[in-house]
Amino acid sequence: MTLNRLPAIAIVFLLFFILQESILNKIDFFIGGFSLYLAFFMAWIMQDERNSAVATGFIAGLIADLSPTLEAPFGLWTFILTSMSYVLATNVRAALDSEISPVVMSIVTVSGSSLALFLFVLCGAILGQDVGSSSYVVQEIFGNAMWTFLLSPLYVPITVALYRATLTARNR
Amino acid sequence: MANRGANRTRLLWVSLLVTSLFLITLDLRGVSVISSIRTGTQSVLAPVQRIGSNVLSPFSNFFKDITNLGRTNSKIDALKAENERLKSELIFNDNVLGELEQLKGVLNLAGKARYKVVSARVISKGGTGTFGETVVLDAGSDSGIKRDMTVIADAGLVGVVKSTTKSSSVVLLMSDPSFRIGVRVAGSQDMGILSGEGEGKFSLRMLSATGQLKAGDVLLSRGSSGDKPFVPGVPVGKVITIDNSTGQLTKQGRVMGFVDLNALGVVSVVIASVDGNPGDALVPQAPKPAPTVTIFVTPTPTATE
Repeated sequence: MTLNRLPAIAIVFLLFFILQESILNKIDFFIGGFSLYLAFFMAWIMQDERNSAVATGFIAGLIADLSPTLEAPFGLWTFILTSMSYVLATNVRAALDSEISPVVMSIVTVSGSSLALFLFVLCGAILGQDVGSSSYVVQEIFGNAMWTFLLSPLYVPITVALYRATLTARNR
Repeated sequence: MANRGANRTRLLWVSLLVTSLFLITLDLRGVSVISSIRTGTQSVLAPVQRIGSNVLSPFSNFFKDITNLGRTNSKIDALKAENERLKSELIFNDNVLGELEQLKGVLNLAGKARYKVVSARVISKGGTGTFGETVVLDAGSDSGIKRDMTVIADAGLVGVVKSTTKSSSVVLLMSDPSFRIGVRVAGSQDMGILSGEGEGKFSLRMLSATGQLKAGDVLLSRGSSGDKPFVPGVPVGKVITIDNSTGQLTKQGRVMGFVDLNALGVVSVVIASVDGNPGDALVPQAPKPAPTVTIFVTPTPTATE
């Protein structure tokens, strides 16, 4: 892991966070919603090396926790995204080929986003947060999974390009 | 060597997890620095959200509209003709007119109850990652808005102000799973608790075992001490079904809100209630059926040859 990559990573995630909060949250998706931020995070982590992935998970989680409309305690997204990044970078990534095909990346992104949302609901409920009926939760997670899959041809190439742009000469 | 690398990753992971748990603990213990970070973020985001709202307003319902394509095929021909006429008008006109209509409605409601209100535009919504139902308004403490003030729209209750910055406020919508409000049935005055269940669904539980409830009953807010968080008399919703299952101590039902929370453009925040409780004055009037005009034609006998 090279520390001088981290500011660039933080800026990229901050830009996606602003995009999510000011544009995408305003769009009325007819089933559930779409979290570009989560999808982008999962696709990014799939390409990253272990140490860098864990640090990126922590930064991305901290940024996600900044959301002013969030009811959950500050740090919950940090906890979940740091955990997810470790699992993806060590277990899932190790089981795949070194060159990941876009289809596999889409599938892992969809599964990862859904699992992250489920963990968020679960941990939120444990911490005493009201998360709504199970049908509401299922609809939200299913809706997000559907949009994450359908829109993957748009955001996966962007993620790959941005990831490569943040690599230092040594990383390349 | 690889094992040492794996250990280093594990150590980094554990230390970052402990840091995040530390942050959660600080927030749950109410450390003000943590909550002010989110307020600060909202101050920074508000201008961007305002621009986003202006840019996106014509397209925000795009995905929802796609689902209605099949049903609207028959109307396409008629709309094509109308579209030609509308081409000369600006694309934002409809949006502005819609907002004006909503503003007119909400000011009518506030005027009837003599509420002192501040009107504001909805500039953003809570996202999927929040599992909460919230909206962001483009007015904040500079306009006199404070936490725990009631937010209304043209047809009734919208929610309650959760937090404010100088130029924006976050509103917890009444459909949020954590939302609870004391309501009374217009007419009978029986009281109950209405809870949000997400996605515009609500449930009602009456407080008294003798409390009567029937489909079609209109629910009004009961009001809170010092009008915070709720002013009394605001229309909340209409009972649609009653749960008659045995073994319940009090009656329960499902409720349909008066306000379409997915189509909020302009809302008003109640700053003060001038006349106290307006009673049942704000109960929406049922539409009066238009009189049917019947014309009897009596044939005039004509001479036939």
